[in-house]
Amino acid sequence: MKKMKKQFLVISMMLILILSACSNGSSSTDSSNNSNDGGGSTDETNPAAERGNEIVVGVSGDPQNWDPIDTFLLDWGTVAISVYEGLVERTLDLELVPGLAESWEYTDDKTIVFKLREGVEFHNGEPFNAEAVKFTFDRLLGEEGQKGPQYSNYTSIENVEVVDEFTVQMNLNSPDPVLITKLAGYGAVIVPPNYVQENTDDHFNNNPVGTGPFKMVSYQRDQETVLEKNENYWKEGLPKLDKVTFKIIPEASTRLAELQTGNIDIMKRVEVAQAETVKEASYLELKEVGTPTVFSLRFDTAKEPLGDVRVRQAINYAIDKDAIISEILGGYGKSISTFQSELSFGNNPDLEPYPYDPEKAKALLKEAGVAEGTSLDVFIPGNDGNFKEIVQVVAFYLEEVGLKLNINSVDNTTLISDLIPKGDAGHMYRQGWGGWTLDYDNTAYLMYHEGEQWNPSFKNDKVEELLEAQRATVDQEERKAIFMELTELLHELAPEVNLYQAVDLYGVNKRLQGFQPPHDDRMRLEEVSVE
Amino acid sequence: MLTYIIRRLLHTVLVIFVISLIIFFSIRLTGDPVSVMFSAGEPSKEAIEEVRKNLGLDKPVYEQYFIFLKGLVTLDLGESFRSGTSVTSLILERLGATLALAFGGIVVAMAIAFPVGILSAVKRGTSIDFFGRIFSLIGISFPNFWLGIMLILVFAVHLRWLPSSGFESFSHLILPSITLGMILSGILARLVRSSMLEVMNQQYISTAKSKGISEWSVIIKHAFRNALLPTITFLGIQFGSLLGGTVIVEQVFAWPGVGRLIIDAINQRDYPVIQGGVIFLAVIMVLVNLIVDISYSFIDPRIKTGKGA
Repeated sequence: MKKMKKQFLVISMMLILILSACSNGSSSTDSSNNSNDGGGSTDETNPAAERGNEIVVGVSGDPQNWDPIDTFLLDWGTVAISVYEGLVERTLDLELVPGLAESWEYTDDKTIVFKLREGVEFHNGEPFNAEAVKFTFDRLLGEEGQKGPQYSNYTSIENVEVVDEFTVQMNLNSPDPVLITKLAGYGAVIVPPNYVQENTDDHFNNNPVGTGPFKMVSYQRDQETVLEKNENYWKEGLPKLDKVTFKIIPEASTRLAELQTGNIDIMKRVEVAQAETVKEASYLELKEVGTPTVFSLRFDTAKEPLGDVRVRQAINYAIDKDAIISEILGGYGKSISTFQSELSFGNNPDLEPYPYDPEKAKALLKEAGVAEGTSLDVFIPGNDGNFKEIVQVVAFYLEEVGLKLNINSVDNTTLISDLIPKGDAGHMYRQGWGGWTLDYDNTAYLMYHEGEQWNPSFKNDKVEELLEAQRATVDQEERKAIFMELTELLHELAPEVNLYQAVDLYGVNKRLQGFQPPHDDRMRLEEVSVE
Repeated sequence: MLTYIIRRLLHTVLVIFVISLIIFFSIRLTGDPVSVMFSAGEPSKEAIEEVRKNLGLDKPVYEQYFIFLKGLVTLDLGESFRSGTSVTSLILERLGATLALAFGGIVVAMAIAFPVGILSAVKRGTSIDFFGRIFSLIGISFPNFWLGIMLILVFAVHLRWLPSSGFESFSHLILPSITLGMILSGILARLVRSSMLEVMNQQYISTAKSKGISEWSVIIKHAFRNALLPTITFLGIQFGSLLGGTVIVEQVFAWPGVGRLIIDAINQRDYPVIQGGVIFLAVIMVLVNLIVDISYSFIDPRIKTGKGA
């Protein structure tokens, strides 16, 4: 009896210990929030204050390869924007401005002449000139480039000719209305000819050299990348920082811990659930920015009853997208009317998303002869917790109008590279897309043109006609008019339920001045300074 | 002894061959590395075919397998689709971090589990034993990502004693080692307790006691040494699996280990890295098992491997 009492005592003590450990854990995040209540002294002082004229950025992924023709990853762009530059630059406000080219001029639909910036040097001291531009595009379009994923974005370029040391002529094999935008893209950044030729492929993959505001001085795969100021940068007085370190920290909770302890100054990819913690710390601020990435539930129109446009519209009416954005995404998302963001050229601001109208949905389903209790399969990637919640809410909305949704969680890679292309992803599936050119051409062509990799079944003659028409002209006003017609048509045809445009969250230490979060993950840091 | 080792090594070759078959064909069942590579561009069918050809994926699968086998024999595991770097150097550059973490985890596990297990057994039925058993249960039941994040919150964010991520110095090793070690120590402590109990009932222990040797000397020198055998098997196998199976801990603490390399490669369908990584782990696992078996003969004089095998 006595023994039992003793054991009971031990159990209760242990429980108390565990509980207090747990509450300690959670209150530690809280305590850093209540800085005004005079919590701990650590809360008042900025833990990163001593770092000096350098910053540390916490990112979630490592691109593994710094050669611009071998990549397509946003994680590449985040860092490489500081190392490499293209002929054309895209600013943080997504404006296209001269980069390594001072100016350019279309002499006809298929010829562009670029005047290059003089006095620019690569990080290794090689001069930037017309030869370097020619070498870059010969490499991109030649045998080496064809092995990589960037080549296919630039196939409208026939070749580049050197006119004089600082003038090049780009000859196209067909008019390309999106070319200037593409020249601000990853694959078209200018690389140093001698350096690339004198070193092995593997060396260049790991030791990139460009003309950008920072040079890469060390790279440890999956650990950190260190950049130092390019003293000879062509922009007067820039960059302001001496050093930038990118630390690869895949887990969001750990990144947040590093931000709270001052080990990093910028945290990329703050999760919605972490937003409040960042906001409440006295020395941190939360910055949000709309991205080109949009998410939808795409229909496989080959699967009945989704071949019927009324059913597709009904599902659009049945789902309250605004509620999903405000409740699950904490308001960090924007509603969209077609499968593109507000940043995309071709977005139709006059088009309203389908309103939430379950009665209309029921009426349309009835009209289409869809029986009550019809079940539909939806495929989603298993690694996206947010989207899983969203689909559960969607299932609830669909049940309200008499449809049953079976949720299938699968490996993301299998979903995008196997199931969707083969039309094996159920009646509907998650489709996310970023449209890297910020031009609807890229998205719309890939999604709605017959026979494309990610278009298993959708087909419409009028859509095809408009898609070709906008590609045939470089007159941007004319293209815009075509896109307005195309967006109205696609809105009507409803090949997907357009859910939201993603908003990216950045946690930033307040000692940083002039940091503007990028729409497109390309973290421009040359204007950033510290207190 | 020598014939035993040779036989085991031949056995290893067979195991590696079977594993190479399984891994090579199973990863080709789902997903396509080339479409994954293109996931943000404008892939035309021709461009996809071109890249496929360049990676040698247009050849018949059996031919690809023979190319892979040929490389394997010459210890050439190929190059990563994604980084273009040789798979061998990708694994080698992570080996240090992986070994450090595995050792760290095992050391913490032993440091906790041996005293807890021995005390539980010796003080069987008392509240010390009860405490020890509860501790084991907690250790086994903790999800390690949760424990890792809690340790970060307490020791890195709140107390600011230790760094929360990265592979830079000894202090960076402490939290991930504790996370791994805590989980392991739960099972290990139970194992130590039960084998200690078994040994303590043996006659030679009573004999030793009756000779008037002090109690703790009997426990450590006689009982514990004999109770170590099953423990070593367990630790050996655990060590092997820790080299590749600590992905979650690696993820939480941004630890650049082999586990993360393989998981990333699986997500990218980077075939050479997956194949090379898995074969590497298989070899390690088989070798660790061999070493464990051989080490028996040193710890337990009753086992003479020459006869045993």
